[in-house]
Amino acid sequence: MDSSSDKDFYRLLGVARDASQDDIQRAYRKLARQYHPDVNADPAAEERFKDVSEAYDVLSDPQTRRRYDAFGPDFRQVPPDVDPDAFRRGRATAGAAAGSGRAGGGGFSFPQGDIDIEELFGGLFGGRAGRGWGPIRGADQEAELPVTVEEAYSGGRRSVALSADDGRRSFDVDVPAGVTDGQRIRLAGQGGRGSDGAPSGDLYLIVRIMPHPSYRVQGRDIYTELRLAPWEAALGTSVPIDTPGGEAKVKVPAGTSSGRRLRLRGRGLPHRRGNAGDLFAETRIMVPDKPTGAERELFEQLAAASSFDPRRQR
Amino acid sequence: MTYALIPYPRSGDRRLSLDVFARATGTHPDLVRRLVALGVVDAERDRAGQLWFSTDEVAALARVQRLRAGFALNYAAVGLVTDLLDRIAALQAAQRGSPPGG
Repeated sequence: MDSSSDKDFYRLLGVARDASQDDIQRAYRKLARQYHPDVNADPAAEERFKDVSEAYDVLSDPQTRRRYDAFGPDFRQVPPDVDPDAFRRGRATAGAAAGSGRAGGGGFSFPQGDIDIEELFGGLFGGRAGRGWGPIRGADQEAELPVTVEEAYSGGRRSVALSADDGRRSFDVDVPAGVTDGQRIRLAGQGGRGSDGAPSGDLYLIVRIMPHPSYRVQGRDIYTELRLAPWEAALGTSVPIDTPGGEAKVKVPAGTSSGRRLRLRGRGLPHRRGNAGDLFAETRIMVPDKPTGAERELFEQLAAASSFDPRRQR
Repeated sequence: MTYALIPYPRSGDRRLSLDVFARATGTHPDLVRRLVALGVVDAERDRAGQLWFSTDEVAALARVQRLRAGFALNYAAVGLVTDLLDRIAALQAAQRGSPPGG
């Protein structure tokens, strides 16, 4: 267990090496409120909270702090009868590691025993304030699971990487067809670790359907834009459109204006126990940017012949 | 490892007796009774006066323990904090457009 040996407790708490006990306490309280696993469900928060708590455990006690200052991160492996001040004086006369205030040079070697920090501290909450409680189950955690519209439609295997105690954890998850935005999915026992052998909490993945260039998802319904030429909209037509499930034909009735929603029943996101959502093609009438001479002429004829007034009609 | 993603069903169909609940949470039954009296842990009382706990309360009590340990809170404060955390969770879930656990 060398998780703590490379950590600078002062930096973890964001205080100077000569900070007062009050400053240390204040820094710790602020960070604890920010990273406590019940306040912050991000899986990375637990590790941060553990580090901050360990730093506070060491620095809040003037005795341990003095030993940490003198011997550095490995201070726990220094026999208790080595006096920090004598050690410092000895090192200063030897001229080693000048001015750093930390051990590590100096011709003093510590026995490299296997000391389990968890054991020393009784786990995440076993220390300071945790006395009197038995094992405590770990906190539930939450992480987002970004999913494309296509994945939400057809499902598939996804790999999810989360930052965790030991670097990164990754899971392969089978995303079922028809997940919707905001859906919570539970991975039992994959949340925060329990103390003293208590079970871990659960990890909840929250499905987040990512923005798509042509689909907008609302619940299980999918909206997509259907562009039409004025004559297609006026005369009616049948157009192929892309849907997440493949190409489909939309029948555009004659006399369709912009903004009309044409429904393709059941072409939205599927539902394992119920009706699939619908796909709505929202019509939008487009005109040529630069009409050809012939087009222009025909539009002019139409304008002359027609008595249609779009602003009078409701 | 591969996990099938299964929507999480709402629990609460299984109820635990005081003794089972105390063992599951690693607490003394007397302390559990006190926590119920303080409204920190929810329980139902049957006609015989026995306390029954939903399985959700196991996680709820663990949270109470962690919060107490992390912030040295008293039970009144823990009750307030858990209520506020639940309210925030409900608001965030509403913002996501899905009921919690749904």
